[in-house]
Amino acid sequence: MSQPATVSNRRLLVETSHALPLISIGIGTRNSALHDAEGLEGLSRLTARLMRRTGGGRDPQAIDTEIDSLGASISADVSHSVTLFQGTVIRRSLDAFMQLVTDILARPGLAESELSRLVRETSAELVETLDDDRSLARRWFRKRLFGEHTYSRSLNGTSATLSNIRLEHVVACARRLAAQDGLVFAFSGDIDAETADRYAQELTAAAPPGPELTDNVPDPVVPPGRRLILVDKPERTQTQILIGGLGTHPADPDHTALSVGNTIFGGTFTARLTQEVRSKRGWSYGAYSSFPIDRRRQGFNLWTFPKAEDAAPCIALELELLHALRDGGVTKKELGWVKRYLTRSHAFAIDTPSKRIGLALDELLYDLPARYHQDYLARIASVTLEEVNAALQSRISDEDLLIVVVGTASELRDKIEAVIPNLTSTEVVRFDTEV
Amino acid sequence: MQAPNESPKAGKSSGRGARSKGEQSPPWLSKLNASAPEFGTITHVETLPFGPSLKLDRYRLQNGLEVLLCEDHSAPVVAYHTWYRVGSRHEQEGKTGLAHLFEHLMFNEVEGRAAGEFDRLLEEAGSEVNASTWLDWTQYNAAVPKDQLGLVIGLEAERMSKLVLRDPQVTSEKEVVANERRFRVDDDVEGAVSELLWATVFQTHAYKWPTIGWMPDIQGFTTEDCEAFYRTFYAPNNATLVVVGDVTAAQLLPRVSKAYGVIAPSQLPLEDVKPEPPQAEERRIEVKKSTSTEKLLVGYRSPALGDWDHPILSLLVEVLFGGRASRLHQRLVRELEMATEVRAFVGPFKDPSLTEIFVSLREGKTAEEALVVLEQELLRAQNEPISDSEIERARARFELGLLSGLDTVDGKASTLGFYDTVLARPATAFERMESIHRIGASELRRAARTYFQPTARSIVFVRPQEVRAEAAEAEAAAGEPNA
Repeated sequence: MSQPATVSNRRLLVETSHALPLISIGIGTRNSALHDAEGLEGLSRLTARLMRRTGGGRDPQAIDTEIDSLGASISADVSHSVTLFQGTVIRRSLDAFMQLVTDILARPGLAESELSRLVRETSAELVETLDDDRSLARRWFRKRLFGEHTYSRSLNGTSATLSNIRLEHVVACARRLAAQDGLVFAFSGDIDAETADRYAQELTAAAPPGPELTDNVPDPVVPPGRRLILVDKPERTQTQILIGGLGTHPADPDHTALSVGNTIFGGTFTARLTQEVRSKRGWSYGAYSSFPIDRRRQGFNLWTFPKAEDAAPCIALELELLHALRDGGVTKKELGWVKRYLTRSHAFAIDTPSKRIGLALDELLYDLPARYHQDYLARIASVTLEEVNAALQSRISDEDLLIVVVGTASELRDKIEAVIPNLTSTEVVRFDTEV
Repeated sequence: MQAPNESPKAGKSSGRGARSKGEQSPPWLSKLNASAPEFGTITHVETLPFGPSLKLDRYRLQNGLEVLLCEDHSAPVVAYHTWYRVGSRHEQEGKTGLAHLFEHLMFNEVEGRAAGEFDRLLEEAGSEVNASTWLDWTQYNAAVPKDQLGLVIGLEAERMSKLVLRDPQVTSEKEVVANERRFRVDDDVEGAVSELLWATVFQTHAYKWPTIGWMPDIQGFTTEDCEAFYRTFYAPNNATLVVVGDVTAAQLLPRVSKAYGVIAPSQLPLEDVKPEPPQAEERRIEVKKSTSTEKLLVGYRSPALGDWDHPILSLLVEVLFGGRASRLHQRLVRELEMATEVRAFVGPFKDPSLTEIFVSLREGKTAEEALVVLEQELLRAQNEPISDSEIERARARFELGLLSGLDTVDGKASTLGFYDTVLARPATAFERMESIHRIGASELRRAARTYFQPTARSIVFVRPQEVRAEAAEAEAAAGEPNA
């Protein structure tokens, strides 16, 4: 299996494969929503979408028609730390597609009328998301876990922050998102390194001058205690539950050990959490735990969605399992098993050129330690039982936990409060409160 | 290593004519057959081209098990899919959801192994495992590192004939499925109204009940129901193995013969298909749901996947509803700012089904307003020729979708297994692409006139339920816990 060829300035990643007449393209920058001013939440996402719709001064219908007709797709994805323009194109249309992509990044139209239209569209989408209970749980979890930290801010914005956004904010933001020194290019598929380099150079030359910004945000700190947030929605037969706290950072010395411990706990179908919640009791269709990563410390969470009557016992069980994991650790047998699982399943993280290039791109954009992905198997092989159990004990807090439940509060509150020992506070919020 | 049985014609020609049959078996296959178990003798059936660079070989065991092999040596992994020709259409009234329940039960216990060992072993092998059920089929997919292929073959063969069905497993999985139903249907507006639409359109055919099953049926299954269903439908002569990846026939087939060649075929029942009579008048339903905005769901009767008109109607639907440049997105979302989303799909099923159109309205807009615009655009498609540029746009979207779906071995196996199970023509994806290139404005206009008839449609209007008054007090209720 070939490895990606990278150029020395760490700005271009290429892997060639002629298996299909397709090319995947990713153009990323660390200039993203972290840099949106307070009160302008949603600016980066709105701007990236507007760039995608108005490249080269085209109107959105023309640009959408052109992309479709080329046999291509392109999206603009904005997270707190990274903005990523991703596309796929059939080989025969590569030249025309890259001209269009260059127009989107370097020459966006950003017409005022289109901005107004997009603000109205985004506001309508915010209303629409109220139908999605899982999304509600995630939004309230993020909001209450990170408190005043920038990670708590909404990427979509709220009706109030969207109304604050003016065209001059968008124009400045577009220059920030496409700033020359921030751009990282990733090409994979039916393209050679020389051609990819030419496109990257042409786009960079056309892009506005500007730096790669520093994050300038601290690691988040979570409030103490066990806090319950009930997101009240009428007539729910089922609940959405997230339980968690602060998580891991890729540079932590115990990062790999913690990830291994999490896989044993809730990372697979046969993990402890799934076995106890789903297989033994049938309480929830899914039961998983995760430790996402970012450039600053992220959270960890357990996710289940039992029916309303099972919500309280399910939370009680999850707290018991978490306590047992933290205090009792994992066994040597579990560690041996998970090492085999993680080692062998890694084949599917790197089985296509676009996946391999995607991992390399993540390393650059998320400040991952050098050779984070290349040395993954070696790190898994060398982690010890003592390291895993020490990581679980030090990184998982039994006392400082956030519990978010979407459901019908009047039917759930007393029962859930009764099963959470040392509960510090309960907050009931309407599901249609903007966050 | 060169694949056995490769036809000298394979790969040189394309399209439907490029297949070879009845070639003499190579010496290694004859030798394998000489020592095969009772039902394990293997016959090479045909070689087919699969796209511009791959080919496909079909084999058949004596017990009826079909094996499709597509060698792809681009990564050291193998996709191993088992497609059973049983879906919710094979169920009976009062026992709906049984096919889907098996999607869960099949991961439990097999004879000679502890409960949960199946999953444990496959995960330990680094396998990615999943399953899905729809109206016409059930499929189980595993992708494994190439050196773990033997394990997955053995385990899949075991659960084809040695599944253990006991009350505790059945009870627990019924509860999991009930929770899945709450997640996907009961507490999900789109899931709930889609189910309602299909139940409104189909009054005779088995497509009238949802794949996941009605809740009382799910809760009422007995272990005996499951046992009977398993013995009837889970058999080698009702299944196709689809294997794509870094493996050759000589490596694969001896293991398949040994593992599956001991399983006897079953007596498959004659399917009692009740065709849905033509719909003579429009049907309308109005429901209230816990949603913020109105929704509109419209179903037009449409042809079966194997019908000549299916790709034509699919291309028409792509012109009208596919992507942001489509006519309906432009009208409803952009120009009129009436909706947040509009989409449609043509049912890819064995029997005639539905073209399902979904519109999510913005606050203050009604489903009736959206229906007026929808009718205007469908009428336009019936009366005015669709431009070449719109057709070209839709074709390119199809082509990108096809190629993108073939990026992984799993994607290739899914495409092959789906078309083989529904149409018995595994390479149909590329044939459809070819036919789509031949479709012009005349065919699209005819399809619009044939299939978008108001008398042949059913409509669900979804109104928001009022939020209860007590929830309005919720925000003020922060503070110390009650307990």
